[in-house]
Amino acid sequence: MELSNVDTILENRGAEPFDIIEVLQDLQGLHGYLPEELLCRVSESFAVPLIEVFRLASFYRAFSLKPRGRHLVTVCLGTACHVRGAPRMLDEVVAQLDVEPGETTEDRAFTLETVNCLGACALGPIVVIDGEYHGDMSPGKLRALLGAVRDGDQAVVASV
Amino acid sequence: MARTVTITVDGATIQTAEGSSVLDAALEAGICIPNLCHMPSVSPIGACRVCIVEVVDDGRRKMTASCTLGARDGMVVEAHSETVLRARRHIVELIVAEAPNSRAVQDLAARVGVTRSRYPMRDKHCVLCGRCVRVCDEVWQSKSLGFVGRGGDRHVALPFDKRPDLCKRCNSCVEVCPMTITPCPGPMAVPGICGLCESQTSMVENIPDTCVMCELGRGFQCARWQLRGLLAPA
Repeated sequence: MELSNVDTILENRGAEPFDIIEVLQDLQGLHGYLPEELLCRVSESFAVPLIEVFRLASFYRAFSLKPRGRHLVTVCLGTACHVRGAPRMLDEVVAQLDVEPGETTEDRAFTLETVNCLGACALGPIVVIDGEYHGDMSPGKLRALLGAVRDGDQAVVASV
Repeated sequence: MARTVTITVDGATIQTAEGSSVLDAALEAGICIPNLCHMPSVSPIGACRVCIVEVVDDGRRKMTASCTLGARDGMVVEAHSETVLRARRHIVELIVAEAPNSRAVQDLAARVGVTRSRYPMRDKHCVLCGRCVRVCDEVWQSKSLGFVGRGGDRHVALPFDKRPDLCKRCNSCVEVCPMTITPCPGPMAVPGICGLCESQTSMVENIPDTCVMCELGRGFQCARWQLRGLLAPA
């Protein structure tokens, strides 16, 4: 873990306990998840008990305590998406990636998550891949989309 | 000298120190308001809602937890009205469904007259009363454990399930937990309510709002029972 990065983040943010969330957001953005040693460091730096930092990290859906894959697939299961067939989208992703919601594929390529609403109900069913919203999804479109992302991922992995 | 305020609980006029809670005032005066998450000398959080009462203000009735309700001069409180008793039984039914294996919870059910629960037994061995969390934080200044997660996933845990260095191994979190009170030797009808304490139940039903220092108090760790050693003449 590059501790120098952590130091920079801690320096750039305030030192009051209410600044912890901003630091956690930065760390989440940098690493894709919140590793244990970083939370320990944050707790030392702010001089708050570790449970306080852990409590925050476990409370918000935006934070992950487990390593995430290189690509994040989020399926909206809100009411509007649900009636427009979101469960079928989820089944499709589960079948394609062979992971349950909240899990990461073995090759660390994909993490599957569900969300309760994205506030874009007119576009439902929605699947978000790496921050990009894909509305009016169908199992077929989703399969093609996942295939394209996987091909891109394998090209990048191969080139490294 | 702290200012005193006068409140009325179930028709009885009680004087209590300003700033004390209605629950503390009532228990002090010997009026039994059943409670679970309340502990003497630890801040109240109103987690279990068992101690709900009705506050009558100018004809309006509002239900609220008495442990987090500060006593104000002239306050009129009903702790055993029909509405309160019904709501309290309902709350205890929910608590029983969460943790039927606890002697404290079984005694509490007997105390408020709950003999069955309409809810599926979830048997989670925790009612999220927060006694352990508060005793760790406030009595031992340790903050080793706390609430983690949210919604249905909210639970008490250690950070990363490891004992942090802050923990003083005092074991208080276990001692105050309603789940750890030594079970009664009788058979526990799990899942369900054993109802073997029905003699106690009829007693508390006949004299509902008077503290008789019942043995049930030991089960649900009633604040007054815990102070009994101090209150009773030697």
